[in-house]
Amino acid sequence: MSFDWSVVWQNRDALIAGTATTILLTVATMAIAVPCGIVVAILRLYGWAPVRALATAYVEFFRNLPLILVVFWAFYVPPILTGLGLSPLATGLAALALNVTAYNAETFRAGINSIRRGQVEAAMVLGMNRVQALRRVVVPQAVRRILPVLASTWVSLFKDTSLVSVIAVTELAYVSMQIRAQSFRVLEMLTAMAAIYWLLGYPQAKLVDWIQRRFAITE
Amino acid sequence: MNADTSPLRPMAAGAKIIRYRGVIKRYGGFQALGGVDLDVHAGEVVCLIGPSGSGKSTLLRCTNGLEAIDGGDIEFEGAMLPRDERALRAVRTRMGMVFQSFELFPHLTALENVAEGPRTVLRNDLVEANRRATAMLAKVGLADKASSYPSALSGGQQQRVAIARALAMEPDVMLFDEPTSALDPETIGEVLSVMKKLADEGMTMVVVTHEMTFARRVGDWVAVFDTGRIVEQGPPTQIFDAPTTERTRDFLSHLGWTG
Repeated sequence: MSFDWSVVWQNRDALIAGTATTILLTVATMAIAVPCGIVVAILRLYGWAPVRALATAYVEFFRNLPLILVVFWAFYVPPILTGLGLSPLATGLAALALNVTAYNAETFRAGINSIRRGQVEAAMVLGMNRVQALRRVVVPQAVRRILPVLASTWVSLFKDTSLVSVIAVTELAYVSMQIRAQSFRVLEMLTAMAAIYWLLGYPQAKLVDWIQRRFAITE
Repeated sequence: MNADTSPLRPMAAGAKIIRYRGVIKRYGGFQALGGVDLDVHAGEVVCLIGPSGSGKSTLLRCTNGLEAIDGGDIEFEGAMLPRDERALRAVRTRMGMVFQSFELFPHLTALENVAEGPRTVLRNDLVEANRRATAMLAKVGLADKASSYPSALSGGQQQRVAIARALAMEPDVMLFDEPTSALDPETIGEVLSVMKKLADEGMTMVVVTHEMTFARRVGDWVAVFDTGRIVEQGPPTQIFDAPTTERTRDFLSHLGWTG
């Protein structure tokens, strides 16, 4: 059995471009899913009852569907219904953002709810209004609980972006599979792909560990 | 100020600061307060005692509007306690409150905890807020813990910081909701002595407590609660030495109080 690792080097430009797309997808998804997650969480916590129900339905719907199904759905269904199709990249981004927004909304909601009622009362008896109590007391504490969860979601998301390869988004997984199909260098390409994901993912995971230690609350 | 139709205490010296009349509070079908009448005069320490669930804490929480009452009325400094949130906030700045569970802000140091009210509510600048906070921490004997976080303080120290936090607003009245019930026996004393010092300085205080010795020695007036009503109220000598109701005698003997 002989290996030919030169296939990795020969395709470095495509692999680098794929890696860049993977990073772009991760960053863009979070850039959408963090503010949207905050909005959905606020609607769930403080919204008018029907709005609250709608926000809850959204979160429970997307949190409990396999991401790959959402990816396929976003790719095939809108063109059938509307006749309009987005590019694979935009479609993949939309699917990821829908999914991660639901997760983030739940993270923000749980973070805010985890602050004891007594803390808000302590703020209120000083004469603070609800906005001041949120800003000065609840949010600073909630952020410390939310950040580590958000960081874990980030690391999962980085790997989950590979799922959008099924709709031909030219990110790292898709590019690797294409090269494999053309060169028949299965082991080499899978190994290269694993190495790139791991080398990028490992420092992120370590960063998450650090964030979780750094923001641990002692009460 | 309303005319007092049934003067509970014609002899009291100071002006009435808080006046409860027929106060009723319900939680669903449960009646937590079934018509409470009580006066708190300036400079007085009023202790609320009685078994758990008898309505003492509920009355305290109604006093600053943490709970809305369902009947009767509460007057503070001659005006009805407002229902409107904005007016209620103005009243709260004049009533300090100390909780059983301290409720210090865990993300802030002791100094920042005490400076928070002056900073955010009274809009003091940082220098002035810190000056005030430092003075209040010194008052409760914790000047050296200014930069400690609550997690690094003992229960007694946390509760003293909580008292300093309430005092930093320069309130007219201090409300204490079982301030020593969550403390280790060895730290109860330091909190009670801070409270005694406050009382000696003339602070008006309403104290829900299970510390009978404190109620006896520091209280000017004691109200005994049972099932949402005051079954007896009077000076501590009456309540502890010559209780007039069976219910008071029962309660005190259950605590092993021998006078």
